[in-house]
Amino acid sequence: MNIKKYLKVYAYFNYSSFSIELEYKVNLFIDLLTSILGLIGSVFLLSIFFSNTNEIGGWNFNQALIIQGIYTILNGVTNTWFNPNLKEIVKYIREGTLDYVLLKPIDSQFWVSFKRISPTGLIEILLGFFVIGYCLYLNNISFSVGSFTFLVITLICSISILYSLWFLISTTTIWFVKTWNATEVLRSFLYMGRFPMDSFSFSLRIFFSTVIPITFITTIPSEVLLGLSPAWKIILEILVSMTFIIFSRRFWKFALRFYTSASS
Amino acid sequence: MIKNIIEVREISKTFSLSTKTPGIKGTLKHFFKRETIEKKVVKNINFEIKEGEIVGFLGANGAGKTTILKILCGLLYPSSGYISVAGSRPFERESSFLEKITLIMGQKQQLIWDIPAIDSFYLNASIYDIEKKEAIKRIKKLSEMLEIGSEIYLPVRKLSLGQRMKAELLAALIHNPSILFLDEPTLGLDINAQANLRKFLQDYNKQTGATILLTSHYMKDITYLCKRVICIHEGYITYDGKLEKLLKKLSPNKEISIICKSKKDIENFKKLNLEIKNINDNQITFTINKIDFKKTLKEVLNKFDIEDLHISEPPIDEVIGKILINKK
Amino acid sequence: MKNSTLYKLNTLFKTQYANMLEYRAEIALWAISGVIPFFMLNIWTNNGLNESINISSVMLSRYFLSAFFVRQFSVVWVVFTFEEDALLGRVSPYLIQPLHPFIRYFAQHIAEQITRFPFALFIATFFFILNPQSLWMPSILTIAISIISTFFSFLIQFLMQSIIASFCFWTEKSSSVEKLLFIPTLFLSGLLAPVASFPNYVKSWIYLTPFPYLIDFPASILSGNQTSVVGGLLIQLLWIILFFSIFKKVWKSGTRKFTAMGL
Repeated sequence: MNIKKYLKVYAYFNYSSFSIELEYKVNLFIDLLTSILGLIGSVFLLSIFFSNTNEIGGWNFNQALIIQGIYTILNGVTNTWFNPNLKEIVKYIREGTLDYVLLKPIDSQFWVSFKRISPTGLIEILLGFFVIGYCLYLNNISFSVGSFTFLVITLICSISILYSLWFLISTTTIWFVKTWNATEVLRSFLYMGRFPMDSFSFSLRIFFSTVIPITFITTIPSEVLLGLSPAWKIILEILVSMTFIIFSRRFWKFALRFYTSASS
Repeated sequence: MIKNIIEVREISKTFSLSTKTPGIKGTLKHFFKRETIEKKVVKNINFEIKEGEIVGFLGANGAGKTTILKILCGLLYPSSGYISVAGSRPFERESSFLEKITLIMGQKQQLIWDIPAIDSFYLNASIYDIEKKEAIKRIKKLSEMLEIGSEIYLPVRKLSLGQRMKAELLAALIHNPSILFLDEPTLGLDINAQANLRKFLQDYNKQTGATILLTSHYMKDITYLCKRVICIHEGYITYDGKLEKLLKKLSPNKEISIICKSKKDIENFKKLNLEIKNINDNQITFTINKIDFKKTLKEVLNKFDIEDLHISEPPIDEVIGKILINKK
Repeated sequence: MKNSTLYKLNTLFKTQYANMLEYRAEIALWAISGVIPFFMLNIWTNNGLNESINISSVMLSRYFLSAFFVRQFSVVWVVFTFEEDALLGRVSPYLIQPLHPFIRYFAQHIAEQITRFPFALFIATFFFILNPQSLWMPSILTIAISIISTFFSFLIQFLMQSIIASFCFWTEKSSSVEKLLFIPTLFLSGLLAPVASFPNYVKSWIYLTPFPYLIDFPASILSGNQTSVVGGLLIQLLWIILFFSIFKKVWKSGTRKFTAMGL
């Protein structure tokens, strides 16, 4: 594994993506507006929930806002890396150019995961951090190096889980070509990540901890920020994210074996 | 002694295809139960290719050429048999193997559409671990060979089809592959671009000694480039050998269509003992040996008052199919 | 002699239906993606939030189930299809056919709704098994009116998106605009919370927009909560007429530009 080569290729991937995206400046503006409006809308919804009660699932409004911040960061990550590459792989399958990717002396999962990047997502990530910053102020939380490291660790795990979920859908393009139905399902379920898990009933909480692991994606990093998260939860999240990554790789290899056996 | 760079023994490939009857009934049935049939697309083929050869795979659409090519470059697993390309099993797609080959598919591009072609070249160079200085050298050399200039600094979408094809070739060859796989490379190109491509491939082979394999259903691609040709028909190899020999075998005949003035003429025509292919109203088509061609044509023109005359080569599918029948 | 338009529509519909059946997995997925109302319901009832807006949890359950159905049968994606067709150059052949391209897309949507119906029914059954106390059977009249209202909601959204889709003639990525418009649709239509729960400063202007008529109004009819039915239906009709005339103008202007300059 030639790290230098992969870094160089990654730099070129980003460079070419930026060149392409800058051709469509209006889009960048609209996408940014969409993320901001999405945040406002969700906070609006949250305020409706909290208009007549002080606590939902043990979280007050200011604490629930942190989850919105984490969600915004992760949504930004999705829009920066996962979405554009999903669109790219759909293009490969539709145009029959996945073959070119497979014949390059570079890992195909790397190519398909990192080829494109969408800069507007980066601004959304920044927006998320601002919200978090504001929430820390609201909640009077002081930030220690320890909690910061744990936050980074859990965020990395959340991103890994998210990546695996999106990549699984990307992989299914090989069979289905059109994926935006599957994408819509994932998006719908992930949307629940904007709310504290404890606000859901028990059975749904189980669902959101196993099938679509929203608990791990948004709730645990938020709990870490609030200093509410016990160590075992963090360790659990690390384990879960590793499982997802390994599974996504296996599934990709499986899909490629199918592709190179059946296509014509 | 030049060694074999490609060895293929008893290679077969079978696909499972799902079948469906048309109409709403068929669709509903298909909805609940998918039926599949097995289709053997490549049937126990054998051949060897030496380093530096240019070999053409000729055959009708659906004959299996593209499948064979994909098996050779590692994009498809063979269902059975033994294959070795440049010392590796292609379907394992090891880096050392991939760095020696390149694939070019007609009408499918690998260049990034919205940015200058040269950026795609540098990207490819980094993938093959080529230092930028070296990449610049190679781009210069290939640009000269391909006769492409400042166009490489334009976004790909602004290039004409011919320029795009040249840029695609550059991108595909920047890592100096020793084996080139080309799948229908002239598809969709105009006559000039086709000629340019053929000339370039020939030059490239002369200069670098690269082995070139191409599939095409255009005879012209093959006649210009290939001394050796492999004919595929319905998954079988029906001919593997010198092109010259094949040409002799293939077209000893010409096909002539005549539109007669009356049905009576058609009756008289039948008496001429020519090999009649079909009769359609007043139009009669017959095949004639190239040797007897002039004599027979003279005779026909003298004896009959004809409305129209059309001369052509028999279509390739038929001809290759005939070879199969002959072999049987 | 066959009535030509009817025959065209019939054949078009049949092909689209066959087309939709091909993508059974995707349609099932699409139906599943509509489950957000159920999750929202869970948050509402689990935390007793409905008490402050004077809606019993049973009524709220019925509301969200109705919202689910209304969403299933009014969801529109024509901007994505049209944008893809425009990108792949399929619009030109459509334009020279004696059939407005959007009728083709309309047939596609109707066909998919019909294909989706069994899946939606299955999800609803599942819902009732989990919430037996919410089980209710609306009267035939209620069902009929809510179907009409849902269809109107579908028309409004279809026309809104068609207008945005027509922007494809001027810009390449009109789907971004659609994604932007989706946000107010998501939050203000009643999919995530009934309009009754909105604060007063929102309720004062929201009925001037088409949004509450997209989900909240039809879902309230179906769940037995709605009073001014006729008034609401009329307002839906007004929006349809408004958007239809805007669409015609934008489309005409767009095709004129297309004929002059291409895409």
